[in-house]
Amino acid sequence: MRISDLILMGLRNLSRRKARTALTVVGMVIGTISIVVMVSIGIGMNKIFTKSVMENGSMTIISIYKNSYVESEDGNYQSIEQKMDDALVNEISQIDHVDAVTPIYDKYVQLTSGKYQSNMELIAMDCTAMPKFGFPALSEGEYPTPENNEIILIGADAMQDFYYFSGRTPKQKTIELGKDKVSFTFSEYAVNEKKKPVTVNLNNYALFAESEDYRYNYCSYIDLEYFKTLYKKYAATLKAEDRKKALASLESYEEIRINVDNMKNVMDVQKTIEEMGYKCESDMQYLDSMLETSNMLQMVLGAIGLVAMLVSAINIANTMVMSIYERTKEIGIMKVLGCYIRDIKKLFLFESGMIGLIGGTLGMGFSYLASHYINKYGGTLLSSIMPGGGYYTEEGAKFSQIPIWLPLAAMLFAIVVGVVAGYIPARRATKISAIEAMKTDG
Amino acid sequence: MGENIEKIIEVKNVKKIYHMGHERICALNDVSFHILKGEFCCLLGTSGSGKSTLLNLMAGIEKASGGQIIIKGKNISKMSENNLAKFRQRYLGFVFQSYNLMNSMTAIENVEFPLVFKKVPRKIRRKMARDMLIKVGLGSRLRHKPKEMSGGQQQRVGIARAFVANPQIVFADEPTGNLDTKTTMEVMDLIKGMAKANHQTIVMVTHDPRLASYADKIIHILDGNIQSVEILRDITKPEEQTAASLEDTEEENKKEEKEIVSVQATENDKEMEERI
Repeated sequence: MRISDLILMGLRNLSRRKARTALTVVGMVIGTISIVVMVSIGIGMNKIFTKSVMENGSMTIISIYKNSYVESEDGNYQSIEQKMDDALVNEISQIDHVDAVTPIYDKYVQLTSGKYQSNMELIAMDCTAMPKFGFPALSEGEYPTPENNEIILIGADAMQDFYYFSGRTPKQKTIELGKDKVSFTFSEYAVNEKKKPVTVNLNNYALFAESEDYRYNYCSYIDLEYFKTLYKKYAATLKAEDRKKALASLESYEEIRINVDNMKNVMDVQKTIEEMGYKCESDMQYLDSMLETSNMLQMVLGAIGLVAMLVSAINIANTMVMSIYERTKEIGIMKVLGCYIRDIKKLFLFESGMIGLIGGTLGMGFSYLASHYINKYGGTLLSSIMPGGGYYTEEGAKFSQIPIWLPLAAMLFAIVVGVVAGYIPARRATKISAIEAMKTDG
Repeated sequence: MGENIEKIIEVKNVKKIYHMGHERICALNDVSFHILKGEFCCLLGTSGSGKSTLLNLMAGIEKASGGQIIIKGKNISKMSENNLAKFRQRYLGFVFQSYNLMNSMTAIENVEFPLVFKKVPRKIRRKMARDMLIKVGLGSRLRHKPKEMSGGQQQRVGIARAFVANPQIVFADEPTGNLDTKTTMEVMDLIKGMAKANHQTIVMVTHDPRLASYADKIIHILDGNIQSVEILRDITKPEEQTAASLEDTEEENKKEEKEIVSVQATENDKEMEERI
């Protein structure tokens, strides 16, 4: 048989039983939609998740904290103190893939502006390393340099929430830097009343732009060397007992922060540091397990889609089996008239493949529609089943994303499912004895 | 012609045994005969005598349990399904008692159906099918479906389908079994006329001794055995009688054709309109 005759005959056979063909196609459409939509949701979730986690934290940063917790042998968590000095910083900077290392001191300072007061976290780190740690952009001022290290970087929202405690209800105020005068003092220990407290005016500052990572919005950064001088001055104003404690706290860094050149190497570097005997943490280690959850979710969704596809495959097979019962006589006639068995097989495979193709194509179109509506109305539901319970999703996120390969793959899959589902019925058709076939009614 | 006329079908010691559960039913028991090229051969027997089985074996629709069937010098009992299909396309035509037309197709589509398997281009096979239908006197019913035609007309479509590819052998299984006497005669004349015109071999199965008189050779079958072979006309020797009857049928055909020409003209007009 010529291919054109085969196609024509196949299409004709399909159109002879319009209702049945249509219903089978509808089954296929549903199968395709479910698989495309489910996979698209999986992809969309993974993308949103990865994107937002990356926005919220720098994925390449590892921290070693002075006070860390380890799980002891009896299963309890135990606080340990890790001593960190310049030698360790140096050692870590030698590790492969380490892009930048900085020691960190972390103190709370008291802010004063007239009668109003507030607190702020002041983080001291090596000013040369600052630009490498994925800080938000500066909206005002510049980074400190070793030559000009007295610049303090201030978070976008750090100047909110100044309070003036008078009477019962405290008054709140947002300070505008440059307009209002602000100064800070260290407040860890009470100052010796005989001495003048160290007060630093916030004149030389730079401002961070508002960041999606809340951690940058409320704290401030200062150069390590500048911090040490200030803190030593402050220590000098303390009582002898407190002075010792204050100076002792400078001996070990509170944190060492490491930036790794690539996300992929974070876990390796972390492992190396742990082998050196230091407990460390990174966002990456949390992301890793969350990504795993997200991948699993994607697989579960895909499996649901696959089940729908399987049902429509059975549907096609059923249609073809029915079709063969009906057309037994025709098959017999065709055989006697000299039709090759392979042509009969091809005819049936073409018909079932055609159902797959039509169903796949329509399903593809409807998938885009379904995807659109999911993105419009399904956000709340879907964000709740995402790892992190929707914490990481932003407003108007696209939960269903259809990459260009997905509909094509789904369509191909639909055709393959059709042909495979039609294969057994087609083989059955060829095995029918011509004599028996011609005796049947039809 | 002469004595060395080709034996187109040779049946040698053919057996056919059916297994029905534990029972073995011997449908054909060591049957041997031959049919010459251009011969009209009739397998005559009562129902259950094994004549239809023999036809099916010769057509390659069923496999023999033993023995050889040689058609055109090829042993068809050893052929693969594929080669059989090719063989049928090339050499065989079939006419059935129950017509076995494709109900979803029109007369012309039914007739061109064997040509579809032979990969004949669309235009050519359409023309061949149309010519054939005109020859059998159905020029006015090209676009009718089988259900819209009488039994005689359906069988004419069946005959047109059997002869359209100009096969060397046509098998006819009780071709007139479902028809009344008048139509039976028409149909038989048609089959015989066509076969003689193209020098084709006919193998017909029937239980009706009256129909057997159309044949050149009658093979009487009873209970799976050949009882006797009766030669009515020896086709190895040219006879005036044969020639005369041939002319008769040709004249009849011409008459029919005249009737049809006018019908065909209107058909053509219709088609032209459709194309425009």
